[in-house]
Amino acid sequence: MPFSIVAQIAVSGALMGLVYALVAYGFQLTYATSKSINFGQGELVMVSAFASLTLINLGQRLFPALPLGLLYLAVVPLGLLFGALLGLVVERTAVRLALEQKSEGWILLSIIVGLFLFSAAENTWGRDDRPFPTPIPDASFHLLGVNVTWREVSVLVGVLAIMAIIETFKRKTLLGKAFEAVSADRDAGELMGVSATRTVMLSYGLSGMVAALAGILVSPITTVGPTMASAMILKAFSVAVVAGLESGFGVVLVGVALGALEGLASLYIGSGWREAPGLVLLILALAVRPTGLFGKAVIRKV
Amino acid sequence: MLKRLLLVRGTEILLFALLAAIPLAVQSPYALGLLTLLAIYGILLIGLDVTVGYLGQVNLAQAAFLGIGAYTAGILTTRYGTGIPMAVLAAGMVCTVIGALLALPSLRLEGPQFALATLSFLALTTTVLTEVEWLTAGSQGLSVDRPPLFGLALTPRLFFWLCLLVLAVVWMAMRNLLSGQWGRAFEALRDSPIATDAMGVGTYRHKVAAFAFGSGLGGVAGALYAYNFQYLQPQSYVYELTVVLLLGVVLGGRKSLWGAFVGATLVALLPNLLSNPLLFRSFAAVGFVMALLAGVRGLLRHTTRPFQALAPVVATGVLVLGSFLEKNTEDWRKAIFALMLFSVVVGLPEGLMGFAAGALAKLFRVAPPPLPPAAALDEVLPATVTGGEPLLEVRALHRHFGGVRAVDGVDLTVRAGTIHGLIGPNGSGKSTLVNVVSGLYTPTSGELMLHGAPLPRGSLFKAARAGVARTFQNLQLFTGMTTLENVMVALRGAYHLPLPLVLAGFGRPEERRAQAEALALLELVGLGGEARTPVKDLTYGAQRFLEMARAAARKPALLILDEPAAGLAHPDVVRQVEVIRRIHARGVTIVLIEHHMDVVTSLCDVVTVLDGGRVIAEGPPDQVKRDPRVIAAYLGAADPAPGGTGPAEGAPAAG
Repeated sequence: MPFSIVAQIAVSGALMGLVYALVAYGFQLTYATSKSINFGQGELVMVSAFASLTLINLGQRLFPALPLGLLYLAVVPLGLLFGALLGLVVERTAVRLALEQKSEGWILLSIIVGLFLFSAAENTWGRDDRPFPTPIPDASFHLLGVNVTWREVSVLVGVLAIMAIIETFKRKTLLGKAFEAVSADRDAGELMGVSATRTVMLSYGLSGMVAALAGILVSPITTVGPTMASAMILKAFSVAVVAGLESGFGVVLVGVALGALEGLASLYIGSGWREAPGLVLLILALAVRPTGLFGKAVIRKV
Repeated sequence: MLKRLLLVRGTEILLFALLAAIPLAVQSPYALGLLTLLAIYGILLIGLDVTVGYLGQVNLAQAAFLGIGAYTAGILTTRYGTGIPMAVLAAGMVCTVIGALLALPSLRLEGPQFALATLSFLALTTTVLTEVEWLTAGSQGLSVDRPPLFGLALTPRLFFWLCLLVLAVVWMAMRNLLSGQWGRAFEALRDSPIATDAMGVGTYRHKVAAFAFGSGLGGVAGALYAYNFQYLQPQSYVYELTVVLLLGVVLGGRKSLWGAFVGATLVALLPNLLSNPLLFRSFAAVGFVMALLAGVRGLLRHTTRPFQALAPVVATGVLVLGSFLEKNTEDWRKAIFALMLFSVVVGLPEGLMGFAAGALAKLFRVAPPPLPPAAALDEVLPATVTGGEPLLEVRALHRHFGGVRAVDGVDLTVRAGTIHGLIGPNGSGKSTLVNVVSGLYTPTSGELMLHGAPLPRGSLFKAARAGVARTFQNLQLFTGMTTLENVMVALRGAYHLPLPLVLAGFGRPEERRAQAEALALLELVGLGGEARTPVKDLTYGAQRFLEMARAAARKPALLILDEPAAGLAHPDVVRQVEVIRRIHARGVTIVLIEHHMDVVTSLCDVVTVLDGGRVIAEGPPDQVKRDPRVIAAYLGAADPAPGGTGPAEGAPAAG
């Protein structure tokens, strides 16, 4: 196997890995405030992508003269808003009650809400995969002997930009500091007048937004369909667990590594085994370092 | 006794007799197919309930074990002509082993991580079943012939009876398992994993065993599934099936064999329910009315939160609307499952059988079987004579948390047969010290010896097995159980019977003996009359006494009491001093952390005083109380007042 092909596959895989990292980052946001994650996050990615696609199609029909670039710029914020709203719906229906009861019912409930969204999407938009129109050209350029497409670059830029924005927001704004306070100690935060419920809502909203962006960034590459996120979400879970649910940028490293690894797995073992490395890594990570590569050990108290 | 037997066992026998009789009356192959599927799903769901119900963990791997079991049996039969009994056993064993291998890493953490690990395993299984084509024929599918059983060709009717028989055996084995120490251990580890470990029961190994067992049942069900459908495809064992199985367990009712059965019935009938509009509409309508009634009742009585009352009404309402508006219910299958599951999880968390069991228990009051008379205390806790040799030796022990040196070089010798007091102001390191000795924390450095041998470090379970028992400053009782059961969980040396015999139902005599022993320990602490009381109904004082009885059930060499009198009223403190004396009189060496100075003075032979993680004084209580350094530590005096006698007797020391 010539080195250039191996490098090409590893780099393309790594760029896809950034999408896993972005979804995994969404898990971290909610885990920080509420120790819960949305098991139906893949459905948020998919439904938001479908909603954005519908908006673009609608825009094309209503304003045929509008250039795609402008339309795209107008739709992206709406898609993100839609994702944030879905995140809030998940928080209200699946998470809040379980958190109030201090139970782990949210695991099952978020699976259920995801299943409902999946079925609704399947019946609303159909089971077929559809292309996602984008102004970003399909062309590629050479970089150190490897072909990189502009869409892959858009993934890189989009992922790093939104993570940087959210992290800055958490550090620099008052609301962001409230977020950090509740993450550090829910009760102490409440005593200081920060509403934990609202902070959890905020984290689910942000998490939904991040999922929507993942959908919008990845759909031009993979097409939009009900099952577009089913494989992706498993890998995002792996990334989140391997990196640790508490660590900020660890997900980027692990996501990139996993993306490259699965590209190589499908090259050397067979395309059917593409999913295997992530799944094996997740189980191994739990065995070797249950808190993740970048996670902290907790001290039990009695 | 007879009434109990009739009601409890009678209904089970009636159920199986009825099920077995149906094929005699109904000849339709379709109905027979449904019944067979019901029996197979019953086995599968009983297995799933072990993790979902008894361990309280969301397990998404059961569909994978169904698949692995099915393929194991299918491959054995098609390649090697293995007969049904051997293939079913092999499928069960393969899944038990794989289940254990999966559980070893994934049960180290709980909740979401466990659910994720099982979900990954499910996806991995589908990948392997599809890709390893030389073994499984991949996505083409594998045809399996149903081999004859002992030379007898299995007609659909005979095959149904076979499946029903397996279900009955699994049902009985499960009941036997759960009614003994294993069932109590499962209950205990959900209530307090820490106390379960500290009582030498082993949270982790029980969880792994439970998961492996449940997976094994999945394998057995899978083998029968293979012979039932006679055609296997990897795509049959995917996420959707796992969700349907969860629906079955949750809707039927967790922690209940009947619940698993009701759930299995529902899961088996679900496809019919969805394809028949009339049936589906009436089902949805019944659900809606039930949700509405329950919601209104809950709101009026203020027993549920508004969300809990309203959400199921909305969900079932959508279901009813959908059932009338949408023709293609098949297409909306997943959404329908989701709405049903949602209403049940939110509105009826304990499931149909949990709800029914509560109602039935009110209708028929069945007295539990009478308890045996208490065993003689000498048999349970034989009085041993000890000669004052060093029992626990702590050398240069450190335990740091980051920069905080909670224990900072402690040397301590506890002599056998003494009551050794451990006092000191708040934050002086007493609790950390005993947490290190009992294995909750791993020491940063230093040595721990018990009976001259190194004490296992950093494992509550191993330290408990080595002979250390403890109580907890913040009570760690198993709140879901009765007083007697709390003691029975911890009872050391009471359960010897090998697992197969327990499953076969020979555990009864051992149970009676354990009850008698536990009763003797309850009498020792004055709770003999409360054996059947649920722990959450006990007074606070009684709960403290129960913790001592439970720790004494370990028959420990060293008993650590962590502030046993904290929060007790004066009469209870007096009683407690008496109880500690009685336990001590059996030859148990005791380490007592206590703030009540009068308790310490009247009980302890030696007192060690800690401050800032170091020993500042040691000696008989009266001497220690006059030690200027001790007084300074408690009262913060720069120079000890001349002629002072330390803290006034009876007054609780600082904090």
